[in-house]
Amino acid sequence: MNEMPEFLRTEVWHPLTVHFPIALLLVATLFKFLTLFSKSKTWENAGSLLLYIGTIGAWLAIFTGDLADGIVARELCDPTVLKAHENFAWILAWLFSLSTLIDIGRILKLIPLKTKIINILTFSIMVIGSGYLMYAGHLGAKLVYQQGAGVYHPTENCDEFN
Amino acid sequence: MKMLKVLGLASVLFMITACGENTDAVESGTYTGKVKKVEAEKTEIYVETKDDKTLELYFTDETELTKEGKTVEFSALEKGQNVEVTLEKVGKRLDPITVKILK
Repeated sequence: MNEMPEFLRTEVWHPLTVHFPIALLLVATLFKFLTLFSKSKTWENAGSLLLYIGTIGAWLAIFTGDLADGIVARELCDPTVLKAHENFAWILAWLFSLSTLIDIGRILKLIPLKTKIINILTFSIMVIGSGYLMYAGHLGAKLVYQQGAGVYHPTENCDEFN
Repeated sequence: MKMLKVLGLASVLFMITACGENTDAVESGTYTGKVKKVEAEKTEIYVETKDDKTLELYFTDETELTKEGKTVEFSALEKGQNVEVTLEKVGKRLDPITVKILK
C-alpha cells in the first residue's frame, strides 16, 4: 500500500510563506496610495509597517521558493514558467526593498526632497512592484493548478487514505 | 513637472527591471555549449549554446556525466567548461541523458 508523504516537506514551505507578503505588500501599496490624499499619519505609518514586514516576507518566500525549485522542477512539464515566476519574484523583492529604503530615508530625513515627492516616488515603485507581484502570483498559480507543482497526487483507489 | 520626473524615473526603473535571465526550450538532440552556471545543491546546470540559447538542465538519476570517457561526479562540473549534452524534451522540460565535459 502507498503511504502519503509527510505534509511539511521542503516544497510545502513555499506556499506556507508566500501568501503573507502577497497580502501585506498589496495592502501596503493601497495604504501608500491613501497617504497621498490624507493628512492623517495613520495610512502612512500603517503602509510603512506593512511594507517592511511584507518585504521581509518576500525575501523569505524567495528563500523557500528556491528550496522548492530544486525538488519540483524535475517533475514539471514546462519549467520555463517556473523560471519566469522566479525572475518576477526577484524583481518584485528588489522593487519593494527599494521602496523600503526610500521610505526609511524619508523617516530619517536622509532624502533632500519634499515628503510629498518621496511619497509619490515610493508609491510609484510599489505600484510597479505590485504589478510584478500579481503576475508572479499568477505564474505560481499556473505552476500549481496546471502542472501540479509540489502537489501530491493520490493513487486512483485512494488506498493510502484508508 | 516634478510629478513627470518621478513618473519618468519609475518608467526607467520598470524597463531596467524588466530584464531577467530566461531559459529556452529546444528539441530533443545533442547540443554543445559552455556551462554558464552550476547549482550544485540542486544538481542543475545552465548551458549556453553556440546559437545563444540558455538550457536549464536538472540532472536526473539516469543522467550520465563523463569526462575523457570516464564517469565522473557532479562536482567535476565548473562554470566555463565546454560540454556536449544529449537531451530528451519532455513537454518543455529538458532531461539530460548524457553530459560530456569536453577538453
